[in-house]
Amino acid sequence: MKKWLSMISLTAMIAVLLAGCGGTKNNNGASSSASSSSAPSGSASASPSDAPAGNPVELTFWGDWGGEGQKQFETMVDAFNKSQDKIKVKYVLQQDMVTKFLTSATSGGAPDILFWDRWRTSLYAPKNVFHPIDDFMAKDGLNKSDFYDEALKELTYQNKLYGLPLTVDARALFYNKKILADAGVANPPTNWNELEQAAIKTTKWNGSKLEVSGFSLGDNGLFNMYLQQAGGTMLTDDGKTNFNNEKGKAVLAYWDRMLNTDKVYKVGFEQGLGEGTDAFATGKLAMTLSGPWMLSTYKKYGKDLDFGVVPPPAGPNGDKGSVMGGFGLVIPEGSKHQQEAWEFVKWWTANKDNALLWAKTSMNIPGYKPALEDPFFKDDPFWKPFMDTLEFAKIRPQHPGYSVMEGDALVPNLQLFQQKKQDADTTLKKAQERGDQLLQDNAQVK
Amino acid sequence: MASIGKLHRHQARTGYLFITPTLLLFLIFTIIPVVMAFYLSFTNYDVLSHMDWVGFDNYRRLWLDSLYWTTFKNVFFYAVIFVPLNILISIALAMLLNFKRSGVKLFRTMNYLPTLTSAVAAATVWIWLLHPEYGLVNGLLSYVGITGPAWLAQTDTAMFAIILVTLWQSVGANMIIYIAGLQGVPDYLYESSKLDGANAFQRFVYITWPQLRPTTFLVSTMSIIGALQLFDQAFVLTQGGPGNVTKTPVYLIYQQGFNQLQMGYASAQAFILALAILVFSFVNMRLNKSEEPIV
Repeated sequence: MKKWLSMISLTAMIAVLLAGCGGTKNNNGASSSASSSSAPSGSASASPSDAPAGNPVELTFWGDWGGEGQKQFETMVDAFNKSQDKIKVKYVLQQDMVTKFLTSATSGGAPDILFWDRWRTSLYAPKNVFHPIDDFMAKDGLNKSDFYDEALKELTYQNKLYGLPLTVDARALFYNKKILADAGVANPPTNWNELEQAAIKTTKWNGSKLEVSGFSLGDNGLFNMYLQQAGGTMLTDDGKTNFNNEKGKAVLAYWDRMLNTDKVYKVGFEQGLGEGTDAFATGKLAMTLSGPWMLSTYKKYGKDLDFGVVPPPAGPNGDKGSVMGGFGLVIPEGSKHQQEAWEFVKWWTANKDNALLWAKTSMNIPGYKPALEDPFFKDDPFWKPFMDTLEFAKIRPQHPGYSVMEGDALVPNLQLFQQKKQDADTTLKKAQERGDQLLQDNAQVK
Repeated sequence: MASIGKLHRHQARTGYLFITPTLLLFLIFTIIPVVMAFYLSFTNYDVLSHMDWVGFDNYRRLWLDSLYWTTFKNVFFYAVIFVPLNILISIALAMLLNFKRSGVKLFRTMNYLPTLTSAVAAATVWIWLLHPEYGLVNGLLSYVGITGPAWLAQTDTAMFAIILVTLWQSVGANMIIYIAGLQGVPDYLYESSKLDGANAFQRFVYITWPQLRPTTFLVSTMSIIGALQLFDQAFVLTQGGPGNVTKTPVYLIYQQGFNQLQMGYASAQAFILALAILVFSFVNMRLNKSEEPIV
């Protein structure tokens, strides 16, 4: 009998242990999708139209901006919640948002609104995880021409629109006014040739030590931008690389001249310099191509950093080019309150006052054009050049394998080229072969 | 006899019951995922919408994927330098600090400290130290008249920089293991060899090193596995660059799975990596022959 007792108590212990494990697992699942737990209670009160007042629909909004960004989001969310009493939005910070969304999209814990880096759309939209918003747009009579065309294009897959742009950005030329003036450069450069001359004049070497670099050539990922300025495009219409030609060679020849003949930069010069020691902010770099996201950082330096911004220099034949990026808001297919989520998206992205409030809160350029007519943007010497740049900026090619092609085929070969390990012809040839292969391997997403 | 058999059975049953929770966890979190990954490597699983059987397609593609084999070449190169240095430095440190003197514990702690730091945080600090113009490393080199390279940005130095950082972070832990090993070596062996007139070098070669064989086996196996799975430092220090010289298989698997959503293909890559680790662990076991110290 005693033996039996011990056996039973043991099994009971194990059962409790296992239940404990299982229990915590369930809890994790639930907390990871706080929305889903609140969703049933929300749906119990049926659709919002006949929902009794004082019992608002609760929406979950996922983003991966923490710190300052989180405060900016919460400012907007609070403003929305105060503006009406039918919908209540809650911002949830997800550090590893995309991975989290992957699992939640299939297991039913999807959020109602997702903060979305737009270039990923070409990979995710074909998998039917987002809800198309065309019907909402038509019903509410929103005008697509109020938004940046390129940004909408980036959120579109097979003629369906999957979200609205929240921010737009593009790189322009930042220049240090003091360094340029000291070197006798009167006006900021407007084309490749002027840029090269200005860079030569502003570069300072002390023996083998580079003290001031005239122009940053540190980011090989900007090849796309230079290629546009040289009059080329990254991909052909049928999804193959399109840089192994005269246009691509023009870019590499320009880089080679700047780096090896003019010696205005040194490979690795900026690597590891964080915000506090940023080369441009500390006057070690005269000119660099950067985006509006750096404005607030550089403005913090006040009098110590007298800088200006102009649209990126044009190429040899006068072609202008910059790459447009930015974020949008999308509504997952798994959301149980898509109509309410749309109300929130519309309130934020397609309303002049709110888009402007967002712009002033976060120092971002909203994707809604009417908001940009405000003096806050139009009369500001720092915003103006970005507005001008956005007029001709193009999004990255919408090929699901594009980022892999750029990261694994093009950039590594460009790095070898910059370090003189291979010549321009080999670089472009290898990047093309490898790039075409990667594009093909990653083309199929459906 | 019968009662003894009964007792054995009872003990066996209780024993199994006691290890059940651990084994269940092992089954749920290790065995099942491994089997699933193996199955997934034959599908086009993308987490969101697909899981169709594609046969050997993933493996065929992998065979032709030159970047995947480049990453293997990279980690082998890394392992060939990292593993022997790791053993050498940790054993040297261990012998240096294997005394009972005041203050020795402080030095042990200081050598162990890098191990306690997070790989990512430490790597971030190393980026600053290795900066070509303003970094401490090149700053010190410039005092003796050497212009240091852009460690992390140049193809010929990037991998060595990663080896340096990972060594700095891993020798501390292995030093502790070796100190434990050294303290297990019986004193009488040293005493008798001293009587026979063996010098310090001979004592190391004929007593210490053979006695430490199981320790060396442990340390070398762990560092081989760690080397082939290199990720954090390569990710933070160089992002696989420049020119793909520091890209590692795990880096590629992560990218393929989570950025491109090709979990099936990523699983195939992971499986080949697991096989490679298995093979090298076996080779290592053969090389170290016995796990038992020779007394």
